[in-house]
Parts: sequence; C-alpha cells; structure tokens
Amino acid sequence: MFKDKHPKKWLLLFTLFVIVMVGIIVFFGLRAQAAGERFLDIREVKTPGGISVWLVEDHTLPIVAVKYIFLDSGTALDPDDKQGLARLLSNTMDEGAGDLDSQAFQKALKDNSITLTFNAGRDGFGGQLQSLTRHTEKAFDLLALAMTAPRFDEEAVARMRDGNLTRIKSSLSEPDWMASRLINDKAFASHPYGKNSGGTLSSLARITPDDLRDFKNKYLTRDRLLVAVAGDIKAETVGPAIDKIFGKLPATAAGGVITDTALSNAGKTYLFEQDIPQTMVDILLPALGRKDKDYYALQVMNHIYGGAGFGSRLMEEAREKRGLTYGIYSGILNMRHADTISISGSTKNESTAEMLSLIGAEMKKMQDTPVSAKELGDAVSYITGSMPLALTSTESVANVVLGLRAAGQPIDYLDHYAANIRAVTPADIQRVAKRILKPEAMTTVLVGKPVNIPTAEIVKELPNVQ
Amino acid sequence: MIKRTVLVFLLLLVTALPARAQTFGAQEFTLANGMQVVVIPNHRAPVVTHMVWIKVGGADNLPGRSGMAHYFEHLMFKGTKTMAPGDFSKIVKTLGGEDNAFTGQDYTAFFQSIAVENFPKVMEMEADRMQNLAPPEEHFQSEKAVVLEERRQRTDNDPRAMFNEQINSALYVNHPYATPVVGWMDEIEKYDWADVKSYYDTWYAPNNAILVVSGDITAEKLKPLAEKYYGAIPKKNIPVRLRPNIPPAPAATLLTLRHPSVHQSVFQKIYLAPAEGKEKQDSLALQVLAEIMNGGPTARLYKSIVVGQKKATSVAFDYNSTMLDYGAIIVGATPADGTTPEEVGALINAEIRKVIDAGVTDAEVKQAAQSLQDEAVFARDSVAGPAMIFGAALTTGSSVSDVESWAQDIAKVTPAQIQAAAAKYLDDAKPWIRPAVTGYLLPVEPEKTPEPEPAKQTAPAGGQDVQG
Repeated sequence: MFKDKHPKKWLLLFTLFVIVMVGIIVFFGLRAQAAGERFLDIREVKTPGGISVWLVEDHTLPIVAVKYIFLDSGTALDPDDKQGLARLLSNTMDEGAGDLDSQAFQKALKDNSITLTFNAGRDGFGGQLQSLTRHTEKAFDLLALAMTAPRFDEEAVARMRDGNLTRIKSSLSEPDWMASRLINDKAFASHPYGKNSGGTLSSLARITPDDLRDFKNKYLTRDRLLVAVAGDIKAETVGPAIDKIFGKLPATAAGGVITDTALSNAGKTYLFEQDIPQTMVDILLPALGRKDKDYYALQVMNHIYGGAGFGSRLMEEAREKRGLTYGIYSGILNMRHADTISISGSTKNESTAEMLSLIGAEMKKMQDTPVSAKELGDAVSYITGSMPLALTSTESVANVVLGLRAAGQPIDYLDHYAANIRAVTPADIQRVAKRILKPEAMTTVLVGKPVNIPTAEIVKELPNVQ
Repeated sequence: MIKRTVLVFLLLLVTALPARAQTFGAQEFTLANGMQVVVIPNHRAPVVTHMVWIKVGGADNLPGRSGMAHYFEHLMFKGTKTMAPGDFSKIVKTLGGEDNAFTGQDYTAFFQSIAVENFPKVMEMEADRMQNLAPPEEHFQSEKAVVLEERRQRTDNDPRAMFNEQINSALYVNHPYATPVVGWMDEIEKYDWADVKSYYDTWYAPNNAILVVSGDITAEKLKPLAEKYYGAIPKKNIPVRLRPNIPPAPAATLLTLRHPSVHQSVFQKIYLAPAEGKEKQDSLALQVLAEIMNGGPTARLYKSIVVGQKKATSVAFDYNSTMLDYGAIIVGATPADGTTPEEVGALINAEIRKVIDAGVTDAEVKQAAQSLQDEAVFARDSVAGPAMIFGAALTTGSSVSDVESWAQDIAKVTPAQIQAAAAKYLDDAKPWIRPAVTGYLLPVEPEKTPEPEPAKQTAPAGGQDVQG
C-alpha cells in the first residue's frame, strides 16, 4: 500500500505500455552496448509462408509464450453505432472454433493448461498464447482453429455481450473509469479515439455474429500482423507453427484507415459530479512522436516531472510535502495517430483546486528553470539501470519484443538507446518542457465533488455509455 | 496493496505453487539473532527481489489504533538517523531498482527488485531502517494525510469496497480481522508520536522478521551479507500476539447496502474457513474444491449458472487460505439482467449443496490437481512471485517444506476429503463456528412513477440493514 499498485485503469494502460516499452527497451540498449554484443538475442525468423517472427529462445523453463498484434485493426475501427465490436470480437474468438463449441474449446485449453487470450485496443487487435512445452502442439492447433474457424455461436456471443453490459454498469460506480471515459470523449471529440472501446449499453445490443465475422475477415489480416515468440522453442519449430496459426488469414486488409489527430478542448476543464469524498483528476496534453529528435528528452523529462512515481516532482510536491494525494503520475502514450502525455491522480474534494494549481506550477517550473545535474543524472541512472527487471518472465520478454515491433523500431534499435538517453542535457529538457508542458494545452476532467473550481464546465451525463 | 488486494493476489500465487518435491529449490538458514532467511535461486536474469517480512500486521493493532501497522509501513520510508525522509526509494531508483511495501492482517512486508550488483546497498538500507528509524515530526503528520487519501481512494470512493469492509466486519466476531488493515478514518487521525515510537520498539526486530531473497543469488553468497547487515541488529523480546478465537455465533447475518452510485447489483457470501497453516489437510481439500467450483469457464459454477441457466454474468468461489488464524471462502455472482441477487445466491447455494450431498468425481479431482500442479510450473516463471509466496506462507503458519511439497500434497487429495471438507465448512444447516455472512449490494430503488404527487425517496442513501 505504500505505493499504488492499482493506479487508475487509464493510467495503467498508459504507463504499462510506456514503461514496459520505453523503460525496458532502454535496458537492451544498455546491455548491448556495455557488452559489445546483443544482450538479449532477438532473432528474426521468416516462416516458410513468409511471416516475420521475432524470437527469443530461452530454455530455462518449459514454457513458451507467443504474442501477436494486428496493428491498426483495433477499436478505432468500430462503427459509431456498434462501438465495442472489436472488444466483443476479442471476447468471442476463444468461445468455440471448428468442431469445438465454447465448452469443448475451453475444456481443451484447461485440460492442457493453455492460456489463450485476445484483446482489443484502439490501435490494434492482439493476443497471447502461453503453454507448457509439452502442450505446445495442442496450443498451436487451438490458436490456429480460433484464428481460422471461430464459431461465434449465438449463445456465446449473447453471453459475452451480457457480461459486457454488467461490466459497464459496474464501472459506473468507479471514478477512475468515469474519468477515463470522459477524457477520451473530450480530448478526442471528433476522432475515432473518442469512442467507447468497451461499447455502450445500446451499441453492444446491435452487434451480431455476422458483424464479428465481418470485422475479423476484413482486418485480422497478414499485412497487419506482428508476432513475437519467447521461451522454450526452437527456430525450426516456430516457422511451421506460426504458418499453421496465421498462414490462412487473408493477405491484406480491406480498408480501415484512421487519420492523425490533434487533441481537442485544450485549456478546458470538465466536471462530472459524483457524491464521493475524493475527486479524480485526469489530464491529457499533446506530446512528441517517437521519431522526434527530442523524444529521448521527453522521456527523461516525463520521469522527472511525474513518471517516476516516488521521487518525481509531482509526487514530491503533492504527496510528500503536502499530503494531498496517495499518488499522482504522468505518462507518455504514443498512439498510432496521436502522441500524448497524461497526468492523473486523486485528492479530497477540498484540495482539488490546490492540486490542479500545483500541476500547472510544476509545468511552469520545468519550463523556466533547467533541471539540476543531479536530478538528470538520477533519472538517467534509473532509466538505464532498471532494464533487467523486465526480463524476469517468459511473458515479459515476449512483451518487450512485441512492443519494439509495434513501435516500428528496427531490431537493433536498442543498441543505441542508452547512449541516446545519456546524451540528454538540461537544456534539452527545458526545450521540451516549453514545447509540451503547457498548462494552456491541457484538457482536464474531474470526477467527484471538488470545491472551488469555478471554471469547470459541468457534464450532466457521461458520454457514450447509454 | 491493502489487505484484500494483496491477499487475493497472494492467494492466487499460493494456489499456483509447486510441482515437484522441490518446486523452487529454496534454501533456509537462521542468523544468530534469530532472523530467519530463505533463498530462492533463479539465475535467468541478473536480478534479485529482496524482501523483509515483519511478523506483525493489522490484526495486532491495539484497540483504538486501527490502521497502525499500515501507517507504520508508510513511516518506514520517512528516514533514519542517517538518511533523509524519502531517500530510501530515491536511492533504490538511482540504482535502477523498484521498491514497495504492503501490509496484511498478519504481516508487514518491504521489498526491492534490483540488479544483483546493487543488491548489497539495499540490504544495508533495509537493515538500517529496521533499527535506526527517525521520521521528523512534520512527516509524521503529513503521512497521516496521505493514508487518509489512500483510504478515500481505495474504499470511501468505491461502494463495493465499503461493502466488502462491512462484510468482513460482520464475519469475524470477536476477532481483529474484523477491522480493515487501513484502519478507520477517525482513529488514523488520532495517532500520536508515543504510539508510533512504542510500535517500532515493540515489533521491529530481526527475530520478528523473515528475509526472503529470490533471483540471481545463492545461500552461500547471501549468508555473509545477511550476517554483516542484519546479523548486527540486536534481538528483542517480542510480545505474544493476542489473537482471540471466534466464539460460536449462531445467528445468520445478512447485509444489504443500497447505494446511489451502484448501478449493478452484486451477490456475495463469505464463509469462515480454516487457515492453511492450522488445518493443512482440510485446507488442501478446499483448494482443490475451489478449482473444481470455479477454475475457469468449464468449472461447475460458471458452466451451470452462467452458461447453462444464464442467471449470472460472472461467478466467484475464492478460498483465501493464507492467513494466520482463519481463512475465508468468498463466493459471489454478478446477476444477469432480470435476476435478483437472492435468486443467484440460491443457485450458488444449490451447487454447494450438491457437493455436500453427492461429492465430486474422481475425474474432476484429477483434472483440478493437474491444473494446480501445472500452475506451479508457471509460478516459477518470475523472480518476485516466489518471494511473495514464501513470505506469505511463512508469516501465516506454514513452513518452507510445506511450500516445496505443496504440489505433491495437492495430488493426494481425494474426493472423500473434499466432500468432507465441504460438509464441514460450507453447510449452512451445520455451520463451522458461525454461519456465512450474506451480502446484497443494490442500486437505490427507482422512484415510483408519480401518481398524484411524486413519491419521496425514503431509502437513506448509503444506509444498511443488519439482520440476525
């Protein structure tokens, strides 16, 4: 409890991605550089069918993990009146395939201790397979079946839809969920990212098994597929297995193009009133893309500003000095069509105004004054030193590798990463702060009953829930 | 990680234990001052997780001082005679590490995950704060505010968390598990410096602590370091922990909470159950039963109630065995649209009745045991996970060999033992010590359509009924 293990869901999504991707990635670079060779042996394997797989062999434990994503085939493609389509697809892909109905399929997984999951985010439709070595053949067969012949039986689709409906109703008592719903709506007001990825109470009812089939056939295609494999498996086994799983999918996607977007409602604050003692604060502002020359400086700046958790300026000022909050964090999220930085935390209603002004004041400070050499050194030291922590499980290794691919980085990208982080100067950070940490660029949402926020626009109904 | 979260987490881990005689290959030794040490070698990455578990938790707090164990955990980051407040975590970070801590009813645990070459430094700092803690006055006050915010965030902002807190309070009659680990708001506000000082002097000592180190290390390498840093700390006389028994309490308890921000009703029922460290055989049988009842979509509850009858969209059957005094079995369901929590509760009761009356099959037991054994292999695929498993087990009455032989022991559980355990602990007609506590979390009833005048809403928001 000393530190928040359950930060707001939305922050979690952010920071998981950013920390796992960015942080960890740094590690490989560091190690590679220090040793003069690659620390983690990521190899590209071309399957006989032509699919590129990035593989890390590790025979320490009899476990294999396969992670994959169909990039640009996520919830942003949901039709407006069928929000939740990709998410429902991810819930039903493992609900029966081929001759196996839902119970038979799930029993085959369970009997062989195979974990098979699918997930749908804004920018992609992904999944993960994890198995003991002795069951990998069965695991590949079951995933192949789910990929090529999912049944979408009425019963299973209805059951998953009903589960989503009760999930939405349960979420309506969660301030962090409400805040994240609202910030997406306000910051992406006229873009597909503003939709409710989990669907609405009415949209889910409109989705049919044919819609699921259609989405899958159009967008889960080989041209959008990225695959990472880690663990107790050899390259010669990987090729045929991956071909078996994905080889029969259509070669190219049928449309589904999302445009880039700026954030909307900059400078505005929205309040969704709830009769609770603490106010949830969610803020989004534009950041830099991965190809920007200041991207490394952005990462170090974020760490110092609010990304570090304990030791960050926001945490020091809000929690350690003033006791305003249990936790406050910032995080970088690079999406396919928007690059953003988020700030998120909660405080009692009476101190919400104080926390908001502190968030702005710390931005100003970062703009006006260069960070000290010690602060910079500590940040660089953490970012470059913490990387081994990401290599402690088969799944986390697969995550790192897929993260690299999804970010569009070359396989040797990590070899240069640490040097780039070390090259960041106080002046770089100040320049980035002036570009990015602009209070006037913030889109802010509040959920709770905060005191003294006269400028907030009241939101009567949570958008895109009903 | 307040109590409930952590315990559920640990429960999952502990349920996911070993597969062979020596699943983890753990080694143990004891320092001259009585500090127990467990090493779990795992050389996959150049990383260790270093944990210190203090054998004191929420259930050891004095009356009127609820939350003290947890608040004290926060204070442990507030500086020593030679280190400024907050520096502990900052130094860990500078060394490329992550640190954290959590408090349960039976333990307080501190840990760091870090590159192995930096590990002696965190050991030195951890040993320092075990004997030289010195938080300045202003931090003592501001940290109270932080804990109050933590309570608001985790509990008071969330009707389900408030409801769970109430259910626990009702279940543990005459026992400190009835009080939430985070404590009650007004009691947290009242801590004074004398409380804190005496708490530290009483409980924080090497002979009341367990060191668990997992990762790229061996007992041979660890031992001299442990002796150097922890071995130098003097032992103390540790008081006996006062843990009263739960007396026979025959009245069945039903809690109902109607809350304005609840839009989805929930059914919950909690049975008192044995702690694994006290009733190992019964506990193992109940662990297999939990797998049979709810180990996924093909298990009994989901198959019958969600897939077959369509009366719920999710079901739960969780057994928390990793407690010093009493465990608990928590069953629950999210009712489907048009189904009441009462109805879905009756269906779960019927499934439990079937086990009591007709038992479980050989095939079910075999499959469940295999699943649990396979999970044990996955449990090794982590550095921090095994350290958590050992620490939780050793602070709740189990031993290193209990953990190492868990998978073998699970494989020996028979259908007859499971049926007997179900009859002993889950029979509403013949409860063990006291009947289960049933809870219904409900939306506020919709206002009736106005006839001549709009009906006034009479149900007090946030009100609750307790019926015997």
